[in-house]
Amino acid sequence: MARVQRQAEVEEIAEGVPVMKNEKEKIDLLFEKNANEQLAGIDWGKFNGAISSRLDEADLSKTSRSKLPTVFKIASGVAAAAAVVFVAMMLRTENPAKMPLENSGHAVVEFIEARGSASVEIIDRNGEGKENGSQAAWIIIRMPEPVLVADPFLQEADNGANGYLRDLIHLF
Amino acid sequence: MNESREANSSDIGRLVEASQAGDRGAFDELVRLYQRRAMRAAVRILGDANEAAETVQNAFVKAYLNIDKLKEPRRFEVWLLRIVTNAAISQQRSARRRAERIKVINCHEDKKAVSLVDKAVGEELKGAIQAAMQKLSKKEAKAISLFGLEDLSQSEVAEIMGCSAAAVGWHVFKGRQKLKRLLKEYL
Repeated sequence: MARVQRQAEVEEIAEGVPVMKNEKEKIDLLFEKNANEQLAGIDWGKFNGAISSRLDEADLSKTSRSKLPTVFKIASGVAAAAAVVFVAMMLRTENPAKMPLENSGHAVVEFIEARGSASVEIIDRNGEGKENGSQAAWIIIRMPEPVLVADPFLQEADNGANGYLRDLIHLF
Repeated sequence: MNESREANSSDIGRLVEASQAGDRGAFDELVRLYQRRAMRAAVRILGDANEAAETVQNAFVKAYLNIDKLKEPRRFEVWLLRIVTNAAISQQRSARRRAERIKVINCHEDKKAVSLVDKAVGEELKGAIQAAMQKLSKKEAKAISLFGLEDLSQSEVAEIMGCSAAAVGWHVFKGRQKLKRLLKEYL
């Protein structure tokens, strides 16, 4: 029943706007009066300028957004190059600075950063078999293993006189 | 007759198409044509020119950034007024929330605040309309705002609101009933 009544009201209003004419005039006059008062003081030229500057800002942010991928690519490239240089420098500092490589034998070397010492054993076949590429020369480096955990048992077991970390470097 | 209505729909369509092609000057012309109408719609919801100006500026920026999405260039006015009224309603709701928070914080100072209210008739009417519009539902506020705009038919209001013309009539009717009760001392 209420639904029917509501529907009837809607149809009456939708088709018969003049039915509300008096109310409409009063309310609309009130709203018009306020709107006119509010809009009376507006300098439309300045208002237009304000919108225009907001649009300029929007243009700028749009442009910077479109440039972002290029900037990002360049930044990534620079970062990657810096990383390569950094790794190369790190490797370089870990290389032995003074290492008397004279045929085979033993040598004690010091690192540039003076992080420790290692014993180096060079095994060279004196060119034997190198002609056909089947024979290789080797360097065996023994250096103390760094202590990562302050565990007395681990220190005793792995970091004593026999606890050398053995690295093999394949030369050629 | 307002400026936006003086320009015929094919002119508007061309300006919109040019804007979509990246012609900033064309969009500036659209702003010039529609700024007054947009402001009037926003003022009718918000009751205050300063709040309306901020809302309309934001609406134009939004329209500018999304102009590519407008499928029918000739319907720019409907599209723009939809953006403006939605923005005004959002602004009105957030203003109401702010006001409610302030009211809770400063409830002990209410009497003092009332005694300091500007007695100017225009300011009083503005405040009364703002308070009354906040009592309406979103659809009622939109319908009241748009229905009173010059040269905007009920079917155009319906298109802006995304509902039937009959529903617009219903929202206008209900909105007016509430406003009549809330603003009876000014009628």
